[in-house]
Amino acid sequence: MTGIVITAWSALTPFGHGRAAFADGVRAGRPVDPVSTSDEWGTADACLVPDFDIVEQLGRKGTSSMDRTSALAVATLRGLQRDEDGSHAPDPRTGVVLGTTSGSAATQFAFTRDSLTRRKPYFVNPAQMPFALMNSAAAQCAMWHGLAGPNSTIAAGRGAATAVLRYAGRLLRTGRASGVFAGAVEEHSGARELLEQGQRLGEASGMFFLQTADAGNRPVLAEVVALTTRIGEPRRALAESLRQALAGCRPADVWGLASVGAPELSEVEHEAAVEVLGQRVGTVVQPGQLVGDTGAASGVLGVAALLALAEVDASARGRLAVTTSVDRDGTAGCVVLRLAGSSHQARGD
Amino acid sequence: MSQQRVVVTGLGVVSSIGTGVAEYAAGLRAGRSGARPISVFDTGGFAHDIGCEVVGFDPTRWITEQPVEDLGRAAQFSVAAARLAVEDAGLTDFGRAMVCLGTTDGGGDAGERIAESVVRGGFPARELARRVPAAALPVAVARELRLSDVDCTTVATACAAGNYAIGNGFDAIASGDVDVALCGGADAMCRMTFTGFYRLGAVDPQRCRPFDVDRAGILTGEGAGVLVLEPLDAAVARGARIYAEVLGYGLNCDAGHPVAPDRDSVADCMRLALADAGRTAADVDLISAHGTGTKANDAIECGAIHDVFGAAAPRTVSVKSMLGHTMGAASALSAIACAVAIAEGFVPPTINHVETDPACAIDCVPNTAVEADLRVVQNNALAFGGNNSVVLFGRHG
Repeated sequence: MTGIVITAWSALTPFGHGRAAFADGVRAGRPVDPVSTSDEWGTADACLVPDFDIVEQLGRKGTSSMDRTSALAVATLRGLQRDEDGSHAPDPRTGVVLGTTSGSAATQFAFTRDSLTRRKPYFVNPAQMPFALMNSAAAQCAMWHGLAGPNSTIAAGRGAATAVLRYAGRLLRTGRASGVFAGAVEEHSGARELLEQGQRLGEASGMFFLQTADAGNRPVLAEVVALTTRIGEPRRALAESLRQALAGCRPADVWGLASVGAPELSEVEHEAAVEVLGQRVGTVVQPGQLVGDTGAASGVLGVAALLALAEVDASARGRLAVTTSVDRDGTAGCVVLRLAGSSHQARGD
Repeated sequence: MSQQRVVVTGLGVVSSIGTGVAEYAAGLRAGRSGARPISVFDTGGFAHDIGCEVVGFDPTRWITEQPVEDLGRAAQFSVAAARLAVEDAGLTDFGRAMVCLGTTDGGGDAGERIAESVVRGGFPARELARRVPAAALPVAVARELRLSDVDCTTVATACAAGNYAIGNGFDAIASGDVDVALCGGADAMCRMTFTGFYRLGAVDPQRCRPFDVDRAGILTGEGAGVLVLEPLDAAVARGARIYAEVLGYGLNCDAGHPVAPDRDSVADCMRLALADAGRTAADVDLISAHGTGTKANDAIECGAIHDVFGAAAPRTVSVKSMLGHTMGAASALSAIACAVAIAEGFVPPTINHVETDPACAIDCVPNTAVEADLRVVQNNALAFGGNNSVVLFGRHG
């Protein structure tokens, strides 16, 4: 046990805005229809967060140069606080930890284009610069929501759920943060299509609120049991990661499995899970099949999908939910959660 | 939670003033400047083009376990610095390991080349996309060292990222999560940071002059710094040389302006670090400042130092005067300077210094290193987005 609990979550996904839209979409199991996208960097069909115009969502102030990644994160955190009915006002040590692949590629590429094509190479928009940096989304969350605690950005690609939960958990256990908004964001753009060729891309932002298990009487959705990572040949690395994470647990205790790795490695991911868990896991979900490859956000969506399915499945109570990832760089990892033990807790109400 | 004491047992450096800790320490002592005309990207159209570039770097000397062409320049620097640090520490058995590196741009230089190809109507080379994800930095290190059971983490908190990585490694060792942590930061010079700071009027045309009344901005730099952290007991048991102890650190966020630092928040971060380390302001013998050389940073940072330390602040130096602003590597290289300063008993100078700005009003140890008996040294790091981090190092024994 890590002593860290998830007390709330929200998401902006191709299923729509907020937790309920994602939960409904996952329960229905119906893939989102992609839309045609086109910009100066590329043309592709992709799964976008619908009706997400930055100015419409956040207003004009402070948004004229804002990247889509930051806007998605700021709006998700706002939604998470609303869902929570304002029941946990942040304190001065409330932190933010967000996962990313490379930040906003669209903003970075636009900045480079301006420098290369304008009359002088320095005729760039200086207001765009902070939004081109990878820490923009987490920093903007702090600015918009007044969060002065530890504020970190973890670049981890499809392993972001494991990496973010591990880093945030450490901040909580050491008392550096009193609570952490922890999640991951990935925007869609033609620039990202150039970096991730060959699959249906999606965009999303997902966020949890994390605390230590003894931090008070907030209802708990799940406790983080284990977070493990390995590097190596993908199937072996994931199998070893799973065995380590589940040491001391009964395989029959595993209720649900989410697979969020790189699309071309999904077979490898499946084989490693079967090797360790057998065929007995009843609930299996692949967010990528529903909302496209959401990169760094995919792991957070995997965890959120399991929480959404567990909410309406009495057999999930008190059992384990496992999210696995493998990425092209040979990194593999998993998140093992113990779902809340009573129906009252499982609904989070 | 039972807490282990954490010590620094190995240092690895790739920098514009030297590769390897011995060369780097000699450069710090001599007040060497890494400034030279930038060659890694086309600076045509800019009125000036001085930066602190790493020259003569041969990646094939360090990278043997993976295709060199798969790694971007920052990942190559990371591997070199990590191997140097491991060698310096005499480390052969890693146990449960962590590789945690901070970066501002990750593989952003490869992303720029992809964008440039498209802008010019061409097709980007296939290997470029593999170099872009920032997570590649510690993964490349782990592959090179053949580590499998490893916590690989990339902290992307811009110009304070090195200190964030050291803090994460400190907590992982102190709490017993890992046995060895390779922590630090790396960045490669890229067009975006140079252009952005240039456009903001924050690049000095010639040399970096922190705290000087005529300072005119940063010089962009590049490099990597890696520190080996171990539990004190384990280091003593294997007879390791101990450079310094990591005493504690502080993290906070301004939650205010996107680029301008906040004096009160920076002061709070120093207080958090002192409290975490169980020290008071009076214990600190030296501050290695963020000290970028911009008008705003140096005045605000020194103001915050005076708020915490009073009028008689400890000596406050900026190694960026020698190294330029190496972005995600900056606070890691600065931390290595702190560890070397403690171990060797000298204060690295702030070079290019003529007249101290009254708005800074600190003893920046101008131009020439001085011998000093250092017990506690503070390493400051600030970043765009208001990401502050301060680490405290102490002499062991």
